[in-house]
Amino acid sequence: MYENMLSYLKSFSSWIILAAIAALLPLMFDSYFALTLLSKMGVLVMFTVAYNMLLGQGGMLSFGHAIYFGFAGYVSVHVLNGIGSEILPYFPIVLFPIIGAIVGASLGCIIGYLSTRRAGTAFAMISLGFCEMATAFTLIFVVFFNGEDGIQTDRVVGPEPIGVSFGPQIEVYYLILFWTLLTVVLMYLITKTPFGRMSNAVRDNPERAAFIGYNVRHVRWIAFTLSAMFAGAAGSLHAINYEHIGFESVSIVQSGQVLFMAFIGGVGHFLGPVIGAIGLTYLDSVLLDITEAWLFYLGVTFSVIVAFAPGGLAGLIVMHGPIARTNKSLLLGLIKPYLTAIGSTLLGVIGTIGIIEMLYFRSLISRGEGEVVIFWYEFNANGFLSWLVFSFLIIAGIYLCRKTYPKARESWDHAISVVKSEISS
Amino acid sequence: MDVILFTIFNGVLYGMLLFMLSSGLTLIFGMMGVLNFAHASFFMLGAYFAYQISEFVGFYPALIIAPLVIAFLGALVEKYGLRRVHKFGHVAELLFTFGLFYIIEEIVQMIWGKVPVGYHVPLSMDFSLFTLMGMSYPAYQMFVLTVSVAIFVGLFTVLTKTRAGLIIKAALTHPEIVSSLGHNVPKVFMMVFGLGCALAGLAGVLAGNTLGTEPAMALMLGPIVFVVIVVGGLGSLKGALVASLLIGLMQTFAISLDYSLNDLIEFIGFSLDAESLWRILVDLTIATLAPVLPYLLLVVMLIARPRGLFGTRDV
Amino acid sequence: MNRIKKIFIISIAFLFLSSSAFSKDTIKIAMIEPMSGPLAAIGLDLIEGLEFFAERINKAGGVLGGRHLEVVAYDNQMIAEKTIQQLRKVIDEDIRYVTQGVGSNHALNIIQTLKKYNKRNPGKEVMFLNHSAVTTSFTNELCDFYHFRFDANVDMKVAGLVTQMANDPDVKKVYLLNQNYAYGQSFQAAAQRLLAERAPHIEIVGDELIVPFGKVLDFNPYIAKITKSGADTVLTGNWGPDAARLITAGANSGLKVKYYSIYAGIPNAMNQMGAKISTFTPIIQITESHENDPDHPAWLKEIEAEYFNFSNKSPYADRQRWMMEMFAAALEKAGTDDPTAVGFALEGMKSRGAKGEVFMRADDHQMHFDMVISHISENVEKPFIYNGENYGMGYITDGWIETKDITLPTTCKMKRPKKS
Repeated sequence: MYENMLSYLKSFSSWIILAAIAALLPLMFDSYFALTLLSKMGVLVMFTVAYNMLLGQGGMLSFGHAIYFGFAGYVSVHVLNGIGSEILPYFPIVLFPIIGAIVGASLGCIIGYLSTRRAGTAFAMISLGFCEMATAFTLIFVVFFNGEDGIQTDRVVGPEPIGVSFGPQIEVYYLILFWTLLTVVLMYLITKTPFGRMSNAVRDNPERAAFIGYNVRHVRWIAFTLSAMFAGAAGSLHAINYEHIGFESVSIVQSGQVLFMAFIGGVGHFLGPVIGAIGLTYLDSVLLDITEAWLFYLGVTFSVIVAFAPGGLAGLIVMHGPIARTNKSLLLGLIKPYLTAIGSTLLGVIGTIGIIEMLYFRSLISRGEGEVVIFWYEFNANGFLSWLVFSFLIIAGIYLCRKTYPKARESWDHAISVVKSEISS
Repeated sequence: MDVILFTIFNGVLYGMLLFMLSSGLTLIFGMMGVLNFAHASFFMLGAYFAYQISEFVGFYPALIIAPLVIAFLGALVEKYGLRRVHKFGHVAELLFTFGLFYIIEEIVQMIWGKVPVGYHVPLSMDFSLFTLMGMSYPAYQMFVLTVSVAIFVGLFTVLTKTRAGLIIKAALTHPEIVSSLGHNVPKVFMMVFGLGCALAGLAGVLAGNTLGTEPAMALMLGPIVFVVIVVGGLGSLKGALVASLLIGLMQTFAISLDYSLNDLIEFIGFSLDAESLWRILVDLTIATLAPVLPYLLLVVMLIARPRGLFGTRDV
Repeated sequence: MNRIKKIFIISIAFLFLSSSAFSKDTIKIAMIEPMSGPLAAIGLDLIEGLEFFAERINKAGGVLGGRHLEVVAYDNQMIAEKTIQQLRKVIDEDIRYVTQGVGSNHALNIIQTLKKYNKRNPGKEVMFLNHSAVTTSFTNELCDFYHFRFDANVDMKVAGLVTQMANDPDVKKVYLLNQNYAYGQSFQAAAQRLLAERAPHIEIVGDELIVPFGKVLDFNPYIAKITKSGADTVLTGNWGPDAARLITAGANSGLKVKYYSIYAGIPNAMNQMGAKISTFTPIIQITESHENDPDHPAWLKEIEAEYFNFSNKSPYADRQRWMMEMFAAALEKAGTDDPTAVGFALEGMKSRGAKGEVFMRADDHQMHFDMVISHISENVEKPFIYNGENYGMGYITDGWIETKDITLPTTCKMKRPKKS
């Protein structure tokens, strides 16, 4: 029996390690902003993994997933305010994601029923239509949604068992961490169930699934509802984190954001959305103050990944799995060509970033001085030297890329061929 | 009666603008199945290029040059961007254009700044042509109307009467067979994409000076264009025209109608307590709900009849 | 391989050679505005303005024995979540003063978040210096000791406009057109109330709320309604595309009305509409001052000339000047950079405005000043210049509204901290 338990624990070991790291992070990053960011990452991890239930596992592209996220937030805020002004009985904040889940599931059930009649692009367009309608509703029905201003709330309400009031951000972080771990594990387990497999089957070949006897429409509908349910749970935590909910949480911008995260992280792998959510949230919040061109970089990164690495970051990592398993030294052998290729790309990228930053600067503020801060150092945007330097970097980068990419490609091909021969032998 | 005539006229004007914007997209979508999120971005680029060119040589050359430049850009995007992504499926293509939307918006801001630019109606057409119900209609609006009708007629003729048009229509529904007949289908795709973008660019040239030329234009007009092409039916030019007019008329009538459900209720004889929650719901006038109506139509159409009004292919 | 290494090293060396580093120790004011996205230009211009005035103060010797004021800008992209996030970052970085103005809903967020934060963290209070968020309730039911507003609120501006309208013989029938959200609705309510109080002879022939934020592309139906109503004036709080498209459609249809507005005539809008449309019918606005006013004081002209050299833009928002000047004066008066003491110093403080004295009312922390009514015209001595581009238009004064006419009662019941 001990062996069973041990092997069971081993398969979960990576999860436990991740959870432990996440729990210890606040020790290193304890500022208000850092904790807010970590909390936001937790919420978005939940949201993105829920979204991937639809996109990656179900094969349905939805532009309207923020509806469940946002509406759950609105309901949560109203309940919280109700508790605060003692119109409603006390409901522990710890259990708020359940409220969000109920809201998400109910809305998902209704909208899913209507949407899942179609698939593919039609489905995507329906979701777009619903998203626009929902955003319009939040602006029109001011009584419930309070329009542009959104709704404020105070999360410090009610009795405080064990002295936890959720005023301090660190307590909110642990609450979010708990729920994120719980829901992500649940969603992972769902992928292992027969239903989860059916969802994949419907994604890959709906006609065949139908011929086997499964009701494709029903499978999609249930997947939609479940996905909306978890999105709703995330939404209520989002509202608690910021003590505010606004129409942007329902809008296509929010839906687009979660789509970016899921896709860049990698829709084919369960942990892809996690990587995407954490990475993009970090970049999004930090790059904001460093450069004004960050939307541009995001767009370019996104398009590049779509064109060259549609499996996302997770896909890139997983691609190397077989190589690692076959022969560790093969993997090590790849490192050097990769590094040189990445280094040359980096050079060119730095040069490009420099030029773009200076272009941005010149277009926005044309005063006497031309000091612009790039990479934490000041450069003179009007001076010839800066332009020369960055152009040189771009040219050097392109030249080096042409030299190093073929080498990287060769090493990769070599490694893969070794793997293939190992497998076939 | 006057009011109705007047509202119809305004609705038609607005509808024709929508048609110009969506005609290109319906062709692209119908043929390549690519939901080009960046279509409205080309519209925006058309307006900006027209502004820049008219600063140097005037409006009329801009009218010709800007769409050509946009066509060229569109062809480039198709050849080097979309084609590479094509093998990953429709979702990937859609996402690629999604990223493209962001990129174009940022580039526009880098070059022309974030403030609206002063793109104005050319002086030669800036006079009143006639008056209707106390409102005068400038010659420029009639010019726009004429051009959009001309586009419709031109496109329709090309697609139905010429050989190139027949090939395009065939590729719309049976790309594999057309390819096996020896036609260079990728080249046809590239040209259609370029043409579609050029149409959007032309719409931008014509509308940029009245709607305002600023970086947020693409985001404002993007969603409604999708409504038009879906409702009209993919690949159907006739459908795009009918849907544009329908939506244009619907929105114009909605704004002119100050009636709310409450008016109806009171007409019947009931009245709701002014403080009650229901009152707020029914007090909403149709005018307030006007922007939601197209999306409602979109959702209903997709659920009930996904091929749209005149489409030949299911979405 | 060696060649590649060499190129790498040379490149990195180049990078470092052409740069320089920087740092300072100062009294920081965090500025949370949109620095990217559609409203970025407005945000960046305002940031530039405050930086200019901070620089002036620093050059004149700084505050509290030579300490400098530093404006630290944070981008919120006009997203409510980001505003809150950036505010938390500001708190982390021990910055005690926050300013903001683009987007009243973001100001509301800041006010509410700071209320909770200040309550939960006594001794570490953060003060909000509001330079442009005009929602009246911020100095009424939402008033707070740590909030100071340096612009006139919506009710005050409407009061000013209505006072002018009451004395304008051309105004007999007015059409109210506003955006259907909190700001537009409050403008509408204020307009209805004040017209009844101050100009009962003016008939309201139409009262409409439109869908806001550029969703309405075709304003012709509204122009038709206005024409049919026989109005000679439109009183509107519209801004951005909602204002520009309305006026453009009106001009194209030959509609001859006067537009009494707050934001319809801002420089960006002037440029977008063009000279012909901007001068087809009078577009009237209410501001704290403008360059072409005949009584514009010489000292102010000097400062504005400096501003022009700094930013390559004509001045527009004088309130930024008195905000920074008063802030510096309050720091000096309080003798410390602690927000509570500075707050007490700011209450009732006076400063200099274009027409006379301006002051911060202690009851509700609302700034009071004379306001000028002007309309756009091409016949101005100093046309508006933006980043070197000459718009060819400026403002001509129609009249001045005295402070007493825009002084309104407040419902604020402020809870003050103990004076330390």
